[in-house]
Amino acid sequence: MTFAPDRFSSRRDSLAFIVCLLLSVAARVAPPAVQDTVSRAVSGTALAPFLAVQHQVELIKASRTRVTALSVLRDSALVSAFTAQALREENERLREILQLTARLPVRHVAAEVLHQSGPASGLMVVLSAGSGDGVVERAPVVVAGGLVGVVHSVTPRSSVALLWTHPDFRVSAMTLDGSAFGIVAPRRAEGPNVMMLELSGVPYQERVPIGTTIYTSGLGGARGVYPRGIPIGQIVAVGEEQEGWSRTYVVQPAVHPAAVSHVVVLIGPAIDLREAFTEPVP
Amino acid sequence: MNGRSEQYRLVVVLLLLVVLQFALRPFLGDFRSSPDLLLLALLVYAIRARPGQAAVAGFLVGLVVDSLTPVAFGAGMLAHTVVGYLAAWGKAVFFAENLIVNAGFFFVGTWLRDLLVLVAGRHMVQSAMAWQLVFWSPIKALTTAIVGVVVLMLFRRWLPIRITE
Repeated sequence: MTFAPDRFSSRRDSLAFIVCLLLSVAARVAPPAVQDTVSRAVSGTALAPFLAVQHQVELIKASRTRVTALSVLRDSALVSAFTAQALREENERLREILQLTARLPVRHVAAEVLHQSGPASGLMVVLSAGSGDGVVERAPVVVAGGLVGVVHSVTPRSSVALLWTHPDFRVSAMTLDGSAFGIVAPRRAEGPNVMMLELSGVPYQERVPIGTTIYTSGLGGARGVYPRGIPIGQIVAVGEEQEGWSRTYVVQPAVHPAAVSHVVVLIGPAIDLREAFTEPVP
Repeated sequence: MNGRSEQYRLVVVLLLLVVLQFALRPFLGDFRSSPDLLLLALLVYAIRARPGQAAVAGFLVGLVVDSLTPVAFGAGMLAHTVVGYLAAWGKAVFFAENLIVNAGFFFVGTWLRDLLVLVAGRHMVQSAMAWQLVFWSPIKALTTAIVGVVVLMLFRRWLPIRITE
C-alpha cells in the first residue's frame, strides 16, 4: 500500500480499474453454478470467522433479551415503556418460534437471520445454520406467522435464503378449503415499507373473498419444495382481471422479512402442515 | 508520524470497521437504513489511496458483499469497483479536506453504490427499486455519513487524512 499526495489516475490505475471492471462483468454473466461456487467458497472460508462473530453476537443478543425480559418482569417500573415493549416483542417472537417447533411434525432446524446491509439484503439473507445442521438447498424457511422464503445455497456453517420479496420467488398457493389455486409472486412495491404479493392464475369463475388467508398448496407431494399449509398471506384486494379467463388478487404477506430475526428451516419431507400454523396476522 | 506507521494505523481502523460491520449488525436495527461499515472502510481507504488501488479494494469489498447476498452476483463487485475508483480519483481532483465535504463524500458514495448495484443487478421490480433509491438509500447514506464523520473525528490522529473544519 502506498500513499501518493498527487495521485491523479495513471495508466496503471486505469489498467487496474479496467481489469476489475472486466472481472466484475465476467462474474455478473457467469453461469449460476460458477457464481454459487465462488460465493460459497468466499463465505465458507474468508467470511466464515466474521459470520461466526455475527452469529455469536446474535445469540448473545437473544440471551440478553431473555435475561432482561425476566428483569423487566421482576421490576418493570425500572424499565422505560419503550424498552419493555421492544423486549416483549422480541420475547414474543422467540416464544412463537419455540411453540412452532413443538407443533411441527416434520424435521426442522432453528436458525438466526444474519441480516446484511447491502441494497439487495431485502431479497436474500444469510442464516446461521448450514449443511452441518442438516440444511439443504430448496428447504422452506418459515416463522410462526408463515412463509419467509426458501434456502438458495448452503455452506457447512451457514446458508443463504431467497426471500419472498425476490422477483424470482414463486410458490403454488391455495385457500384453506382448496377451492381456489394459483401462483403467488412478489408484486410491485406500493411504498417504502409496503411490499405485496399477488396470487395469479385463479380461474375467473372462482371468486376468493377479501380477507381469505392463502396457504402453500403442497403441489408436488412429499418431494415438492413447499409442504401444504404454510400461511403465505391474506387477500386484500382484487388486482388485474383477464375477462373470462383468470383473476389476480393482491395479497398482504403474512411475514415481513425485515422484522424476522429467528427462523425455522424445514428439512423433512413436504407433508401437510396446516395444523402447525396459527392464522397469519394481517 | 512516519509513512509506515500511518499505513499500519489505517489498516487497524479499516479492520476495526470490517469487524464492527459483523459484530454490531444485530444491534443496528433495520438493514435498509443502518450504516454500511464495509463501504465506509472502502471510502476511508479511497481517500488516501491511488485510484487503481481503490478500484482493487472496491472489487474485493464487492466480492464479499456479493458472497453474502448473491442476489445478482457481480453487481456488487462492479458497483464497489466504480465507487472505489471514482472516490479516489474524485478526492484527488475535486475535494478539499473538510469534515462536511467528507460527510458529503460518504453520502454520495453510499447512494451511488446503491444505484449501481440496483442498475447492474436488475433484480428488483421497478417500484421497489424507486422506493429503495428515493427513500431507503438516502437514509442509509446519511447514517453511513454520520458514522464516517464520527470515525474521522475519533481517529483523526491515526488516519493520514487532513480534516479542516
